[in-house]
Amino acid sequence: MQWQFSNDAPIYTQLIQQVKVGIVTGAFPPGERLPSVRDMATEAGVNPNTMQRALAELERDGLVYSQRTTGRFVTEDNTMINQAKRSLAQRHVKTFLEAMLRLGFQREEIIDLITQEFGKEDGTHAGA
Amino acid sequence: MPVLECRGLTKRFGRTAALDEVSLAIEPGRIVGLLGPNGSGKTTLIKLANGLLTPDGGYIAVCGAAPGRESHGLVSYLPERTAIPTWMTARQLLDFYGDFYQDFRRDAAEEMLDHLNIRPAQAIKQMSKGTREKVQLIMVMSRAAKLYLLDEPIGGVDPATRDYILSTIIGNYNPEAAVVISTHLIADVEKVLDEVIFISQGRVALQSTVDDIREEKGMSVDALFREVFKC
Amino acid sequence: MLRKLLKHEFRATGRVMLPMYLILLVTAVGSNLAGRKMLNGRSEVLDTLGVIVIMAFGFAIAGAMLMSFVLMIQRFYKNLLQDEGYLMFTLPVSVHHHIWAKLIVSAVWFAATVLAIILASLIVAFQGGFLREMLDFFSYLFNGLRLLKAGEAINGTVYLAELAVLLFLSLAAFSLQFYAALSAGHSRANHKMLWSVAWFFGFQFALQFAGSLLFIGLGRTGIPDMLNFSWDISPVAAIHIGLLFSIGIVVLYGAIFYAVTAFFLKKHLNLE
Repeated sequence: MQWQFSNDAPIYTQLIQQVKVGIVTGAFPPGERLPSVRDMATEAGVNPNTMQRALAELERDGLVYSQRTTGRFVTEDNTMINQAKRSLAQRHVKTFLEAMLRLGFQREEIIDLITQEFGKEDGTHAGA
Repeated sequence: MPVLECRGLTKRFGRTAALDEVSLAIEPGRIVGLLGPNGSGKTTLIKLANGLLTPDGGYIAVCGAAPGRESHGLVSYLPERTAIPTWMTARQLLDFYGDFYQDFRRDAAEEMLDHLNIRPAQAIKQMSKGTREKVQLIMVMSRAAKLYLLDEPIGGVDPATRDYILSTIIGNYNPEAAVVISTHLIADVEKVLDEVIFISQGRVALQSTVDDIREEKGMSVDALFREVFKC
Repeated sequence: MLRKLLKHEFRATGRVMLPMYLILLVTAVGSNLAGRKMLNGRSEVLDTLGVIVIMAFGFAIAGAMLMSFVLMIQRFYKNLLQDEGYLMFTLPVSVHHHIWAKLIVSAVWFAATVLAIILASLIVAFQGGFLREMLDFFSYLFNGLRLLKAGEAINGTVYLAELAVLLFLSLAAFSLQFYAALSAGHSRANHKMLWSVAWFFGFQFALQFAGSLLFIGLGRTGIPDMLNFSWDISPVAAIHIGLLFSIGIVVLYGAIFYAVTAFFLKKHLNLE
C-alpha cells in the first residue's frame, strides 16, 4: 500500500482517507485483520498515536471494528464498504468539477469532454 | 508527571546565553520535535538534560529528578556525534550496553544488527561512518527507556537512510516513554511527530501539536517554521 | 558498577598491553639465545642477527614502559574527554567510579609492566647453570641474612615494602596530576589541550612551591631539633619516619588532584 501526504491537511484526516481507499480497493479485504497500530505507523512513516487516532475514527464510522484480544478487523458489511466507495468517488467528482468550473467550462462541455475521453479509451481498447 | 521539565532554565557560554529562561514540559507517550535553526540552543538543552552541562540558572528535571546517575538509567541518548568506542566489536558493544543498562533488550538489538548484515565479530572500526551511526541508533533504540533524547538523528543522511532511521525509531520506542527528536530538517520528521517545540535564540518560540498547526493554520509545520524563522 | 567499568577498561587496555608483554617475553627469549648461541664471532650473519634481537629487546622494554604511560593519559583523554565521553558520562555511573576505574587500571598496568620487565630480564640471564646460580645466590643471601639480627632483617624488609608502596602511590598520584590537568583544561571552550598543558605545569609549579614552603616551615617549627635531640631517634627509625612521611605527602597530593579532577568532571564538564 502506498502512503502519500500533502502539506495542507492534518495527517490523521489524510490517514483516514488512505485507509478507506485501502479498504475499498481491497488492499485491506473485508473481514481481514489489520496489522498492529505500530506496524501500520511504521509502514506509513507516521506517528503511532496519529495512526491510532485515525483508526479510532474509522472504528466510530463502523468501517473497522476491534475485538478486545485479537486486534482490529475490516468490516464484512459490503453495503458499508460500497457507501465508503461512493463517498470517496463523490469527493473526487466534486474536486474535479470545481477545477473545471474554475477553468470556465459549462456543464454540457464537461459532459462532452468526458464522453470524448471515454470514446478515446474505447478506441485504444478496440485497437489493442 | 512530565518526563522532562524545565523552568526558567538558563545556560550561558561566556556572555552569550545559549538558553534563556526556557520553560517546557514533555509528557510520556509523545514524540516531540525540538525544532530550530543551527545554534538556537537545541543541543545545549539536550546536553543539560543529560547532565553533560550544568545549568547557570533555573530548574531541569528528568522523571522528577535532577540529571545524574539515576536519570541516566532512564534516558536513552543519541549524541550528535558517534560516541561508541571504535575498538569494540559489535558483540563487545552489546556486552557493554547489557552490562550498564538494565532496560537493554539485547535480542532486539541483535535482530536489528543481523538485519543490517553486521556480524557479531565485526569491529566498529571496520564499519563505514554511516553504518556506525546506524549501530549507535540501534543501541539507543534497543533500550526500553522512559525518555529518548535524539540529537540530530537524520542530519546529513541520504533519504533511504533517513527512512530507515525514522522507522527504527517508530518501530522500537517504548510506548510509555517520550521521544525528543532535535532537528532543523522539519519536512522530513513532521509526519512522525505529535508535538513540536520551536526554539529560537535560546528561547521557546512555540509549543503545539502538529495536527493543531495543520488544522488551525492550514499549513504544514515546515511552512510555519519557514514563516517564523524567516531571515 | 565499578566492577563493570573495570571489566571494560581492562578489555580496552589489555588488547594493547598483553601483546606488548608478549613481544617483551619473545625478545627476551631471543636475546637469551643471542647471548648464548649467536654472538660468538663465528658468523657475521648470526652476530648481526644477535645484535638486532638484543636491540629489539631494549626497544620492547622502553616500549612497554612508554606504552603503560601513554595508555594512562590516552584512555582518560580519549574515553572521557573526547567523543566517547558522550557515552561514558551518560552511563548510570558516578564520576568517582569513572576516575577510580581509570586510576586502578593504569596502576595495575604500571605494576604489571615492572613485573614483566623483571621476568624478561631473568629470562635473558637464564642459562644452563642459571638455576643453580640463582639458588646459590639465594642461599648466599640467606646466609648473609642469617648473620643479621632479627630486628635488622625486619627493618630491611619493611624498608623495601615502604619503598614499593611509595613508588606505587607516586605513580598513582602522578596519574592523578595528569587527570586533573586534562579535566581542568577541557572545561574551557577553546584550546583545550593548550590549557591542559598550562594546568599541568601550573600544578607542577604549585607542588614545588608547596614543597619548599614545607621544608622551610619544618625548619622553623623546630621539629628537626626535636627529632635530633629531644627524642634521640636512631637512624633506622629516622629512615622509617622519612619514608612514611613521604607516603603521607604523596597520598595528600594524590587526594588533592583527585578532588580537582572530580570537581571539573562534575561541575564543569564541557565536551566538544
